[in-house]
Amino acid sequence: MGDGSSHRSNNSSGHSNKPEWLQQYDLIGKIGEGTYGLVFLARIKSATNRGKSIAIKKFKQSKDGDGVSPTAIREIMLLREITHENVVKLVNVHINHADMSLYLAFDYAEHDLYEIIRHHRDKVNQPINQYTVKSLLWQLLNGLNYLHSNWIIHRDLKPSNILVMGDGEEHGIVKIADFGLARIYQAPLKPLSENGVVVTIWYRAPELLLGAKHYTSAVDMWAVGCIFAELLTLKPLFQGAEVKATPNPFQLDQLDKIFKVLGHPTLEKWPSLANLPHWQQDVQHIQGHKYDNTSLYNFVHIPPKSPAYDLLSKMLEYDPRKRITAAQALDHEYFKIEPLPGRNALVPCQPGEKFVNYPTRPVDTSTDFEGTTNLQPPQAVSSGSAISGGMPGAHISNRAVRPMNVVGMQRMPPQAMQAYNLSSQAGMGGGMNPGGIPMQRGVAQAHHQQQLRRKDPGMGMYPPPQQKSRRM
Amino acid sequence: MATNFWTSSHYKQLLDQEDVDMVNPLDKEKGITLEDFKLIKIHMANYISKLAQNVKVRQRVVATAVTYMRRVYTRKSLTEYDPRLVAPTCLYLASKAEESTVQARLLVFYIKKLYSDDKYRFEIKDILEMEMKILEALNYYLVVFHPYRSLSQLLQDAGLNDINMTQVTWGLVNDTYKMDLILVHPPHLIALACIYIASVQREKDTTVWFEELRVDMNVVKNISMEILDFYEGNRMITEDRISAALNKLGFRS
Repeated sequence: MGDGSSHRSNNSSGHSNKPEWLQQYDLIGKIGEGTYGLVFLARIKSATNRGKSIAIKKFKQSKDGDGVSPTAIREIMLLREITHENVVKLVNVHINHADMSLYLAFDYAEHDLYEIIRHHRDKVNQPINQYTVKSLLWQLLNGLNYLHSNWIIHRDLKPSNILVMGDGEEHGIVKIADFGLARIYQAPLKPLSENGVVVTIWYRAPELLLGAKHYTSAVDMWAVGCIFAELLTLKPLFQGAEVKATPNPFQLDQLDKIFKVLGHPTLEKWPSLANLPHWQQDVQHIQGHKYDNTSLYNFVHIPPKSPAYDLLSKMLEYDPRKRITAAQALDHEYFKIEPLPGRNALVPCQPGEKFVNYPTRPVDTSTDFEGTTNLQPPQAVSSGSAISGGMPGAHISNRAVRPMNVVGMQRMPPQAMQAYNLSSQAGMGGGMNPGGIPMQRGVAQAHHQQQLRRKDPGMGMYPPPQQKSRRM
Repeated sequence: MATNFWTSSHYKQLLDQEDVDMVNPLDKEKGITLEDFKLIKIHMANYISKLAQNVKVRQRVVATAVTYMRRVYTRKSLTEYDPRLVAPTCLYLASKAEESTVQARLLVFYIKKLYSDDKYRFEIKDILEMEMKILEALNYYLVVFHPYRSLSQLLQDAGLNDINMTQVTWGLVNDTYKMDLILVHPPHLIALACIYIASVQREKDTTVWFEELRVDMNVVKNISMEILDFYEGNRMITEDRISAALNKLGFRS
């Protein structure tokens, strides 16, 4: 797509390991991994966009011998039709006929909400600035309103799927990503629940937990409510333990966590509750625990009379029909009072306040596009990457499920960054080392300086590995 | 946009009839005429339909598959993209896009059942390779709008939503996929043409209703004429003519 030549890249010779289309990029390294495949960070070589960072999502050929995965098809299909400032931009699709793999190239976003929340909780130990929370939420709702008004439900909103652009023209702009589970809901050929109900369990709406077959865009709004609370408190609001085993298990613990905060739903407030399968089957059990004096306030600690509290409770409304919509939420008073939301969520227009330099995504520079580990870095990779690529301990197995844990790269202190007026984009993800693996300072420094020399803002994209696994 | 036709890739990709009726130079060299080209596409649309009945997917999947097939041949030659492989692969891809995934091995099974001829014989691997080539040829635009949705809305609006009219118009819409109309006209105009034909045939007076619609009736009438012409010409299509056309391509003799 895009320029006609880029995807006409059959690599018919079959001898070169590097297909023609791939030669337009410098591969930097692996930044993520999921059941669908791998995500890489690369930079464009061509003169027009030189150095621009791109996240390349590689879809594996499905194991059951059934060609391009339906998830990839769905994602391409939707992303090819939509354009919005707050939705991730698909810039190219490539096919490698030799190994039948498919690559989606996206504009790279440096940060995501998972990483931002984590950084505040574990590193700086202070809440996220109110301006930032409001701007992130507003932009998330703005993107979601666009999707919903086009009859697209995302279905898998969670902090790691909400990206934020790093330094550059779009600094601090929210991008909703990962449309593998999204769908057009206007005229589904099958009930939406049939393809496997999804949404990471902590952000899953109560109607889904109770077995609703036909659900709506309101499930995304519930997830936004959970994310809003998490931005305020830095803790997941409803942290249930997931039951796996069966394909569509009843997640009692997750429901229980919700009831603990919001109290039990009642038929008066939520009439269609009576029709939900799990509710019908087992009311007693579901209401097993009695919770008195439940209050959202105990968990989020914002004044119950404040607009923020009002908005949050409307997002966490039990009855999906009464739950606030994205359009209504954008119009809520919360967004009309100071501080007003802004385009750059990370840095406000008015100076004076201190802002956090967020860590950037760690990059595993030892993995090539085949997903295999290279001790001998390929030619095209910049020397900066090559250094760390050759370091002991910097390479990891391509089987690793959580590559982020393993890659050790140190982030530069914020002051040092500011001296270059480059802020955090060039740094590596020290704050993103959830496994607490020792890091190699030498590597980080070398890498960092290389990045500065290149003088191009990197963008982060694809989510860090999940705290909770997704479907499949 | 996923549901707004006027901002969709489908709308932006609509072609002029002349562009659809261009026989690829490679095919011309083999003696393929415009007539042959159309015949082959009709045959492949029928093939997709038959396969779909066997693997039990709904009409919308068939419609999407046929649209993919027709779009492919506005850009690629029959010579390079064997229609006997493109047709089932389009159904395969459409089944994924329309969330009714059909397994490739099931398709291969029914292909063998439908056609004993070796020229139709393909393996799973062939389908999977062609799937990628088709994705590329479609330039990754996969959302297709069909007349069916507007059809039911329009029939209701015209007060013609009795079972009889619904069946007749639905059948007409199905048959429009034997033509290239979906590549040239917005789907709601195709739906209107089908309603127009049916109402003339069933002697329902819809003049006022059509007048109030504020659509270009000339376009609707032209589409209707094209559909009627197709029915006229369709009687002359025989297996022999289709084989003759396909033989010119000379695959795997």
